[in-house]
Amino acid sequence: MKFMLHAVQQALTNILRNKTVNLLCLGIIAFTLLVPGIFNYISFNLDRYISKLSENIEAIFYLKDGGDGSEIERMLQRIQGSLLVKEVGFTSKDRAQAKFSREFPELQYILAEFSNSPFPASIDVKFRADARSVVQIESFIRDIEKNSLVESVQLNLDWARKIALIKKFASFAGLFLSAILLVVSIFIIFNVVKINIFYRRDEINILRLVGATDWYIKTPFLLEGLILGFLGGLLAGGLLLAAIKVFPLYAKFVFTIVKQLIDFRQLPLRIFWELVITGSAIGLLSSFISLRRFIKQAPPG
Amino acid sequence: MIQFFHVYKQYFRSNEALSDINLSIERGEFVFLTGASGAGKSTLLKLIYKEEEPSKGQILIDSINSTLIPPGKLYKLRRQIGIVFQDFKLMMNRTVHENVAIPLLVRGEKKAAVEKKVNSTLALVGLSHRKRYLTSHISGGEQQRVAIARAVIGNPKILIADEPTGNLDTELSIEIIRILEKINASGITTIIATHDLNLINLFPKRIIKLDKGQLVLDKASEAV
Repeated sequence: MKFMLHAVQQALTNILRNKTVNLLCLGIIAFTLLVPGIFNYISFNLDRYISKLSENIEAIFYLKDGGDGSEIERMLQRIQGSLLVKEVGFTSKDRAQAKFSREFPELQYILAEFSNSPFPASIDVKFRADARSVVQIESFIRDIEKNSLVESVQLNLDWARKIALIKKFASFAGLFLSAILLVVSIFIIFNVVKINIFYRRDEINILRLVGATDWYIKTPFLLEGLILGFLGGLLAGGLLLAAIKVFPLYAKFVFTIVKQLIDFRQLPLRIFWELVITGSAIGLLSSFISLRRFIKQAPPG
Repeated sequence: MIQFFHVYKQYFRSNEALSDINLSIERGEFVFLTGASGAGKSTLLKLIYKEEEPSKGQILIDSINSTLIPPGKLYKLRRQIGIVFQDFKLMMNRTVHENVAIPLLVRGEKKAAVEKKVNSTLALVGLSHRKRYLTSHISGGEQQRVAIARAVIGNPKILIADEPTGNLDTELSIEIIRILEKINASGITTIIATHDLNLINLFPKRIIKLDKGQLVLDKASEAV
């Protein structure tokens, strides 16, 4: 406990003592985290937008005439049993005719020509709002369509397919960009921490020569990395928050469509903490690797 | 206290820095290690505090074979040896007090004990009045005394000084050796590497002379 307190105190003192190098390090950590943070935020909004649009995915299975009641019941149960389905309803031939009469009273004379309802019975299915399941929904519909009772299917899936494609592209691009930026971040921070340690190599050598244990030497440096990463993450979160507040005002005049597409209401806590945790982890890892390598390669006192 | 048995040291692709060194230094002895630049003085000292490993041979420090000490336990050996360097190796952006206190802080000693020992050690080297000064704000002679204070504050068994007067004028050099003599009087084995024969002649102590990595003289003080 006493040792940890000393290490924390030492780390904070070192950070304050080498303000220039550490401010530079902090700035780089914040900037490199900010870029994936912005992308993550846009991706988050795109997700929400797609989910909102996906609430309207519907399919209508028109049934062949003369279907057996129990077979229709089995089909309804099967549809209802799916986790993808939000709501399912059955419209009989008579109800379809009544609905037509109600909605188009001026065309009732046409129906007078028929002794029975000319409309097919149908099963109306509403799916759950989850853009990720568009492919599953399509596959489910195709499966139900194979039932001998089904005459045809009407569905509004074309736009959903397009959105799913955009989402897929966005996810891939997001992952790809984030991975590249993360590697770049680690590389930059690793080198900044290495420079930071190199800058104080004399101090490390002195500590070694006066009989400090490895952990006594390493811990303050590790904590410095952790603290710098943590502060860098906080700063990136703060900058992202500021960008979210400022950008819509700008976008209002310039990018109306973008503003409609992206909901600039708030920064989700998840993204904020991701930035802070990633920053801390990168800071800690980078100083750990740098320190390990430096201590191994340190020239004799 | 310190024993070298057929010790050789060869750096990568170079001539032997030390060749077949056999010597024994008793507890509480005061020894001048001398020789021209490149004779192997610093290498010999580095072998004692294990900053370098011998290429061949064995070194016993207080009856412990230093070549067998694993890196993780090296701090135990270092705590028994105080080291003074020609370039001082001080933390210039810290105060005199902070520099002197380091060996005690790394051992986790209590604040009150540290304070007490720092005060008495600074008094020993005549630097009590500079306690709160930044090390970069004091003179070279004073900086060397800070380095000596740091080396002895942990009550080491051995004190090693590598050219401690190399950057100082004659008057200051004599003053530094007198301080080291005073420290030696408390029972600390003291080894001073120097090429300053005038200085050696002023103090009648044992002399070990190296030449091109070989021990060429080992005897009680006399004009060299």
